[in-house]
Amino acid sequence: MPEVFVLALPKGRILKEVLPVLRKAGIEPEAEFADENSRALRFRTNRPDLEIIRVRSFDVATFVAFGAAQLGVAGNDVLLEFDYPEIYAPVDLNIGHCRLSVAEPAELSASDDPSRWSHIRVATKYPNVTRAHFAARGVQAECIKLSGAMELAPTLGLCRRIVDLVSSGATLRANNLVEIEKIAEVTSRLIVNRTAMKTFPREIGGLVEDLRRAAA
Amino acid sequence: MTSAPSSKVATPPVAENFLLPAGLADGLPPEAGFEAAMVERLMASFARWGYERVKPPLLEFEDSLLAGPGEAMAAHTFRLMDPVSQRMMGLRADMTPQVGRIAASRLRKMPRPLRLSYAGQVLRVKGEQMRLQRQLGQVGVELIGAEGAAADAEVLLLPVEALRELGAPDVAVDINVPRLAPIILADLPPEARMELIAALDRKDTARVSERAGRHKETLLGLLRSVGPVETALPALLALKLPAAGEIERANLAETVALVRKAAPDLTLTIDATDQRGFEYHSGLAFTLLGRGVRGEFGRGGRYVNHAGEAATGFSLYLDTLLATLPVPARPKRVFVPFGAAADIGMTLRREGWVTVQGLSAVADARLEAKRLLCSHVLEGGRPVAVDG
Repeated sequence: MPEVFVLALPKGRILKEVLPVLRKAGIEPEAEFADENSRALRFRTNRPDLEIIRVRSFDVATFVAFGAAQLGVAGNDVLLEFDYPEIYAPVDLNIGHCRLSVAEPAELSASDDPSRWSHIRVATKYPNVTRAHFAARGVQAECIKLSGAMELAPTLGLCRRIVDLVSSGATLRANNLVEIEKIAEVTSRLIVNRTAMKTFPREIGGLVEDLRRAAA
Repeated sequence: MTSAPSSKVATPPVAENFLLPAGLADGLPPEAGFEAAMVERLMASFARWGYERVKPPLLEFEDSLLAGPGEAMAAHTFRLMDPVSQRMMGLRADMTPQVGRIAASRLRKMPRPLRLSYAGQVLRVKGEQMRLQRQLGQVGVELIGAEGAAADAEVLLLPVEALRELGAPDVAVDINVPRLAPIILADLPPEARMELIAALDRKDTARVSERAGRHKETLLGLLRSVGPVETALPALLALKLPAAGEIERANLAETVALVRKAAPDLTLTIDATDQRGFEYHSGLAFTLLGRGVRGEFGRGGRYVNHAGEAATGFSLYLDTLLATLPVPARPKRVFVPFGAAADIGMTLRREGWVTVQGLSAVADARLEAKRLLCSHVLEGGRPVAVDG
């Protein structure tokens, strides 16, 4: 029985950066994949043993953790947030560079003294990372889970601090926020389902090596 | 019909009372029967290898349950107060430490190596991310008082054979050496060591390169070696290891050779960086996997029991098996209408039929047979298929 493996890719920004890496590894998605208006969710590739799905970045990790996709591309921000024991992250693809940071309004930053904090409220897509980050220095972070437009939270008084991805910092500046602390450097990783890696060591191992070379 | 007076409390909706706590579930036919049959067959497989069954209690005093190898299960264990002795008891979260305790205490005079098997339910305070059940059926063996590759190979080959006999598809074994990374990193402060071990576990090459310092070459070598034994073992043998690590590696090589000889077609991989779930293991360990199977069938490995004896064993978890293996079709059941001759049922059962006795007279026996999920109905003294 020929196995068909599924590679989960995140929609949006990263997708454009992943495609050249795939191409270098000899993986060419079917033409429809490039069409952003396509409603299809599953795509064939030039390799009969590999299919691609396009899902939200957080869902890439979930699909791979549960073995619905054997491979995926996810930022280590997502991996930190979920911490799925079933996911391996063997290759740093060296794309999607940004950082996960704490930001707050510029005027607050001028007078703020973080050493006095015992409890803060933070709007974020990353409640687990945020809580762990602040707990490590003895601060209880109450997280307000948002799915996007984090920068609005301080401006509209939802809470004063946010934890979000920052790449150029332009969005922060536009909303009069300043980055006060970096939690982690973020790059996209090739992720692999643990069971798939162990039970198809040659096939999955081969794909991982192809992509490792392409990313180098 | 009159409406109920308002002073009376309304009966709550019944369905709500059926809710079970998170991670607990009812086993129903036919799965519950299938699970029990699976346990029987596994225990029979173990018995054929010379393993004899023990039956530890559900509850033990905390001090004994969580001593020795049980210590690692402390965070997973439910506690309750014993009203009789006023001492704290724990509800077992894993049977391995219990069997270790039995071997070290009541069976201490039995000749070694001692081969014991067990089957039972365990309870955990929290489900895992990928396995939300808090009650799990556990089946396994312990081989106590034996060191070396021959013992490691026996305990690895036994579940493979048993799983194959059960019909589990494409069993694969990942051999692990959870002690190797801690040995290599022995000179680091605990925090740095833990961080690197976690990064190795996730195969996070980027983080390992960044943090490993002078251990970088060895650790990246370990990561590169992960894979099929045929490539992993030579890669591992080429690495420079501390003396304690060399001993682990030599035992690994010897075990792999024995396993390969006995099971040439088994999918066998080595991952010397895997740490997960090997809380109390002290030597060679392994994970039992299946192609396309979520989670794992079980895991096993070497540890030191309460009396300081070398021991190894494995546990299979029934939830994975149950989710993987197809539940066999219901056996042929024959409906015996009310009032049939007294001895007919007994005769049929002796012939291997499952009989379902009618308890009152019915107009249409064939319809009644169908209603009660019977494949056959007794007509003219013989079972006749209800369809056809």
